[in-house]
Amino acid sequence: MALPIPRESSFTSRLRTPAVSARIGRWLGIAFTIAFLTGLVSHWAQAQTWWIPYPTAPSWGYRLTQGLHLVSGTACVPLLLVKLWTVFPKLFQAMPKPFSREGVLTVLERGSIAVLVAAAIFQLASGLSNSAQWYPWGFSFRPTHYAVAWLAIGALALHVAVKLPVIRQALGSDVEDDALNRPGTQATSAGLTRRGLLRTTWVATGVAVLATAGATVTPLRRISLLAVRNGKGPQGLPVNRSAEAAGATDAAQDPAFRLTIAHGDRTVELSRDDLAALPQQTRTLPIACVEGWSASATWTGVPVRDLLDLVDAPASSDISVQSLQTRGAFARTTLQGSFSDDPDTLLALQVDGEDLDLDHGFPCRLIAPNRPGVLQTKWVHRLEVIA
Amino acid sequence: MITRLSLGAVGLAGLAYGAWLLLGTGWSNIVAAVEWLAGGVLLHDGVVAPLSIVVAALALRVVPSSVRARVAAAAIVIGTTATQALPLFDRPGAKPDNPTLLPRDYVTGWLVIVALVVVVSAALVLLDRVRARRS
Repeated sequence: MALPIPRESSFTSRLRTPAVSARIGRWLGIAFTIAFLTGLVSHWAQAQTWWIPYPTAPSWGYRLTQGLHLVSGTACVPLLLVKLWTVFPKLFQAMPKPFSREGVLTVLERGSIAVLVAAAIFQLASGLSNSAQWYPWGFSFRPTHYAVAWLAIGALALHVAVKLPVIRQALGSDVEDDALNRPGTQATSAGLTRRGLLRTTWVATGVAVLATAGATVTPLRRISLLAVRNGKGPQGLPVNRSAEAAGATDAAQDPAFRLTIAHGDRTVELSRDDLAALPQQTRTLPIACVEGWSASATWTGVPVRDLLDLVDAPASSDISVQSLQTRGAFARTTLQGSFSDDPDTLLALQVDGEDLDLDHGFPCRLIAPNRPGVLQTKWVHRLEVIA
Repeated sequence: MITRLSLGAVGLAGLAYGAWLLLGTGWSNIVAAVEWLAGGVLLHDGVVAPLSIVVAALALRVVPSSVRARVAAAAIVIGTTATQALPLFDRPGAKPDNPTLLPRDYVTGWLVIVALVVVVSAALVLLDRVRARRS
C-alpha cells in the first residue's frame, strides 16, 4: 500500500502555527548564537599563533565558555525537534510557477531553509558525538564543524531576515491568536494547548540540560544521567586521552627521563628530582576540554617562567612545548608569550598533593590559566624558545 | 526594512564564508560532510517526523481525551531525551584504556528519566481530577 503524499492542508493541528514556531524559534536562535560565539572563542583559544593572543585571564574563562557551548548545544536538541515539528507542513507547501519572480524567490527561500535545517542537525549531531569521542563519519571533525557553524549562523540570519514580519506579528499577539493560522487549522486542540506545548518544550529543554551539564557543572555531576563524564577518574580527575592511547607509557616511566629547556645554543637538562628540588608553586586551575567537560584541581609544580630563566629566555617568549606522546595531533604545541610569562603557568609535577598519575601526564605536564585542555600538554619533555 | 536587508546581507556573507571554508577542506571531506548534512535531513523528514505523526494518530485512538494533554507532554519529554540518549546506549565512543569516558550505564539512566516523567505526569493527572471534582 502506497502512502498518499500529504499536502500542506492535510495538517490541521492548532499547534503547528507561526505563533508557536516564533516563540520556540526565538530561544533556538539565542541558543544557536551562544553556541556559535562560544565556538569562535574556542577556535581563537586553539589558534596558538594568532596575531591577537588569547588572554590568560580569567583562568576560568575557557571553562565557562565551553560549558556554555555544551549547554546551549544540548538545549537546542528539544527546541529544534519541536520547532521542526511545528513547521513540518511547510515541507509540503505547493510551489508557485517556477519561472515567475515569486517562483525564483520561493526556490531560494526554501533552499536557504534546507541549508539551515541540514546545518542545524549536523552541528548538534556532530557536536554531541564529539563529546562522546565517537566519530562514525569520514570528515575531519574540527574544520568541518567550524565551516558548518558559519553555514548555520548565516542561514539562520537570512531566515530571520525573511521571516521578520511574521515573527513580529506572532510575538506581538497572544499565542492562541488565530490571525496567522494556516487555512484548515482546527479551532480547538485535541490534547495540548499551544501554551501547554510551549511549557512542555521548556521542560524538555531543562531536562536535556540537567541530564548533560554535569560533565562541566560540578554540582550537577550526580544527577546528569546522560553526561559523558561524571568527574571521576584517577586522582579525582577525568582523562581525555590515556598514556596508552597517546603512546607515551614507556617513555614517561623511563628513569632516564630528562626535561630539556632550550634557548638557541643554550640548553639545560633536568631530571624529575631536579625539577622537584626547584621552588614549587601551587595553583588551583581548571582542565576544560573542547569536548565539553571540565574539572578543577590543585596543581603543584615549577612556574614555566622560572624554567625559562635558567636559559635566559627573554620576556614574552613563545615556547614550543613538546610531549613524549607518539600519537595525536597535539604532541607539539605553542605556548604564546603572554602564557609563558604568566606566574600561574606551571610545569606541574603533582595534583592535589600526589605525584601526577601516568594518565594525567607523569612525569610533568603543562597547566596554564584559561587554556583549552588539548593545549595543556602532558608528558612534557622539551620546552624550546621559538626564535 | 533596513534591519531585514542588513540581517539578510550578514546571513549571505556567513553562508558564503562557511561554503568557502567547507570547500577548502578537500574533496573527500566535502563528500563525507554533504552525506551527513543530507542524511540528517532525510532522517528527520523521512523517519522522525512521520514516526511522530503515526504515534500521535495511534495515541488519539486509545488515550481518553481527559488525559491527552498530559500524555502528549510526557511523550515530548521522553521522545526528545531519547534522541539524546539513544546514541549513548551502546557507549560507542568508549575506550578500554580510559574508563573516565562514558562512565555511566546510559540505558538505565534514560529509563530513570522515563520513570520520573511518568510519575510526574501521573501525579499531574491525579491533580487534574481533584481539581475537576472540586469545581
